[in-house]
Amino acid sequence: MRLSEADSHALAGATAAPNYLHDGTTVMSWLNTRDHKRVGVMFLVSVIFFFLIGGIFALLLRFKLLEPGPFFVDAIGYNRLFTLHGIVMIFLFLIPSIPSAFGNFVLPLMLGARDVAFPRLNLASFYLYLAGAVLAIWAMVHGGTDTGWTFYTPYSSTTATQVFPVLLAVFIIGFSSILTGLNFIVTVHTLRAPGLNWMKLPLFVWGIYGTSVIQILATPVLSITVLVVAVERVGGFGLFDPARGGDPVLFQHMFWFYSHPAVYIMILPAMGVISETVCAFSRKNPFGYKAIAMSSLGIAFVGFFTWGHHMFVAGQSTFNAGAFGILSMFVGVFTAIKVFNWVGTMYRGAISFKTPFAYICGFLYFLVFGGMTGVALATTSLDIHWHDTYFVVAHFHFIMVGASVMGFLAALHYWFPKMFGKMYPEGWGLVAASLIILGFNATFIPQFLLGNFGMPRRYYQYPEHFQALHVASTAGATLLGFGFLIIFIYLVIALKWGSPSESNPWRSKGFEWLTASPPPTHNFDEIPTITQMPHDYRTHEPPGVIRVS
Amino acid sequence: MSESGPSGRPTQALHPDDRHDQRAHSALPYFVVWIALVFFTALTYLTGKQHLGTWALAIALIIACTKSTLVALIFMHLKDSSGTTRLVFVTSLIFVALLLFFTVSDVATRFRPATPAGAPFGTERSQPEGLLEHELPE
Amino acid sequence: MSHDVAGLPPGILAHHFSSLSRQNEAMRLGMWLFLATEVLLFAGLFTGYSVYRFQFPEAFAECSRHLELTLGTVNTLVLITSSLTVALAIHYARTDRRRAAAICLVITLLFALAFLGIKAVEYAEHFHERSLPGKYYAYEAVKIPGAAMFFSVYFLMTGLHGLHVIAGMSVLSWILRRTLQGRYSSKYYTGLELGGLYWHLVDLVWIFLYPLLYLI
Repeated sequence: MRLSEADSHALAGATAAPNYLHDGTTVMSWLNTRDHKRVGVMFLVSVIFFFLIGGIFALLLRFKLLEPGPFFVDAIGYNRLFTLHGIVMIFLFLIPSIPSAFGNFVLPLMLGARDVAFPRLNLASFYLYLAGAVLAIWAMVHGGTDTGWTFYTPYSSTTATQVFPVLLAVFIIGFSSILTGLNFIVTVHTLRAPGLNWMKLPLFVWGIYGTSVIQILATPVLSITVLVVAVERVGGFGLFDPARGGDPVLFQHMFWFYSHPAVYIMILPAMGVISETVCAFSRKNPFGYKAIAMSSLGIAFVGFFTWGHHMFVAGQSTFNAGAFGILSMFVGVFTAIKVFNWVGTMYRGAISFKTPFAYICGFLYFLVFGGMTGVALATTSLDIHWHDTYFVVAHFHFIMVGASVMGFLAALHYWFPKMFGKMYPEGWGLVAASLIILGFNATFIPQFLLGNFGMPRRYYQYPEHFQALHVASTAGATLLGFGFLIIFIYLVIALKWGSPSESNPWRSKGFEWLTASPPPTHNFDEIPTITQMPHDYRTHEPPGVIRVS
Repeated sequence: MSESGPSGRPTQALHPDDRHDQRAHSALPYFVVWIALVFFTALTYLTGKQHLGTWALAIALIIACTKSTLVALIFMHLKDSSGTTRLVFVTSLIFVALLLFFTVSDVATRFRPATPAGAPFGTERSQPEGLLEHELPE
Repeated sequence: MSHDVAGLPPGILAHHFSSLSRQNEAMRLGMWLFLATEVLLFAGLFTGYSVYRFQFPEAFAECSRHLELTLGTVNTLVLITSSLTVALAIHYARTDRRRAAAICLVITLLFALAFLGIKAVEYAEHFHERSLPGKYYAYEAVKIPGAAMFFSVYFLMTGLHGLHVIAGMSVLSWILRRTLQGRYSSKYYTGLELGGLYWHLVDLVWIFLYPLLYLI
């Protein structure tokens, strides 16, 4: 079965059918949409908005840290800043970012499907996210919380700040996350196009699938944990209160059972993006398709066995500490497999150094560097010194910002023409990427040093001899902020006034490029039959044509 | 328009979940399972009242697992379901076991003075006089 | 149009599924994934239970003996029977006996109501004798460290379960309405099946709650 004439026509750039952006232009047509692409775009706009909010909190707290003594905000104010920075960045940006924005848009296209399995549930996911977000904003406006995003008891069950609405917001957003994961798993199982068996799935799909498995299994435990703390605050049940026989370490177990796999929710989709873009911008088949695919599942499962490494000094038993320390080492193996395969893919490829590729380079450097410090932190004897210092802060920012956000930016630039039919300015793209990579290093390498010298995290005041490093970090953060601002500006300009792009400007062999850019609402006139391997750059087809059946 | 059927399978073959529609469906298994569940409830009630000490928990859990298996397999049709749905259910149970294992192993292997009063290795109860109901001489 | 859509009420088969068989498969998988999340939700509370039973074995045993075992056992039988009736409802729907299916669903709802009623009686007794969670605990009969913790765990677990019974009743009412409208038949009964699955989960959780709370 060949591509229909309408689809070939559309691929050539001459769109006959209205694309999904023009199919209904009222606000209601967007708010009541069943179209996964529109849901994806709405998520994209929302997560970018919250990234900016979380970024502002970061800049504010880094501004305070220019001075060792009281400055700019008081101690409680500072506690609220870092708490809100964490909550917004993790729950309102990182967890939904790539899956809900890009996964929603691209997954059905990659599978040759017309939509996700449950389109109305998808819209419900978005509204749940919004509801949680609005509640979180309300709480922020009324003073926010000062517990840290980790909500450790018994402080979180007793502090007089807006913990209750924030916990409720987290609960609601968790539900949104669960429904998205559920939708994606069912979509991958039941809506694959004919011929598309599991070992032909694009690597991004494997990444999203692994992420969705974690979302299903881990998020409910977070939900019950925040629910119990909320009940504690209201009812004094004492489940985590030592005065009533409760165990605060139990809270930490339940919290980290979710929150450790959560970091894999944040990184797996980014890894999926890198797999896609590495092949496209090296014009080469993946070095080891099965290895990359299976390691996504490996990370998803093994990530659940490691949560106690957040609790080495919390008071858990030495048996547990030892077990978790050893188990935490294993999860690094899967990441190493991926890095090896990505580098192997690039080797002897025809590299096209566009903006997404710049982010790939940043991603690889930050993932390896940050990942290695993670393995170091997993060593119990070392973590005793590094726990709750800036060393940990630098480690997780290397992964969450350095790797995850680079992955997000790579996805944003790679799929921008696909989603909007416009091209971003390549020169500015590389400028922004350079600023971000430079700014990131300037922000967080000083923090590794600070942590190693003993500077604790979440501290309002610090000894004078740490000031130089703090100033360097703040300067870096400002540079980083500029980089993000530049991206935001040129993308908005490109959206409104940019030149239209071709259907497949990257000549990518990804299945999502089989349909027009932007795609029509129903994705494909005829569902294609897939017979070729994904990311297959060995074929001698003229660029832009993907052989179908 | 040639909409293709499910990938890899001819359109006539039914999915495992729909296959049992071909035969006349009997309600007998449901009643049999119900009787079994009532029986096991009586069993757990009787063994529970015996207060068998260390074995009590194990017996109660085994009976509960048996009942759940019956409900899942027959009432919830897991017996007739696809491998995927069975894998989903079993996986959730494995992760429950994982959560339970590491949290209980934590409290079970902690440094003794860190356990609250009344715990297995702890100090004396706060109510030294008076006997509990089950300690009363017959 | 695929042939298995004939004879169905309109709007059953969604446009993005190639066949009803596929859609049924997707709906079942979706519901089982959701049930998996419910299992893990309760798992958090079972974890709390396990930790505190381990740390306060005497208190837990003593408090358990002061629960209304008869009422708990009756409630177990009520839920087990309600699982039977909902399974029968599905059986009748798929053998085209709509009225019987509806009657079974009504009976299931009545059992659910009975469960909540019995639970309410138990809760009232707890309030009366002050065997309450955490800081509200003032039960004269048991004064051992950890007794309050037992009741915190008891109320959290039975409370969350009770909320799920209520949610289950809404689901059952919804599918009862759909049954009366003639939506389910031998050709399509997946929605009814999914509602039944949710109800069975409510029963499954109680199967574990009963011995762990009442029979320590």
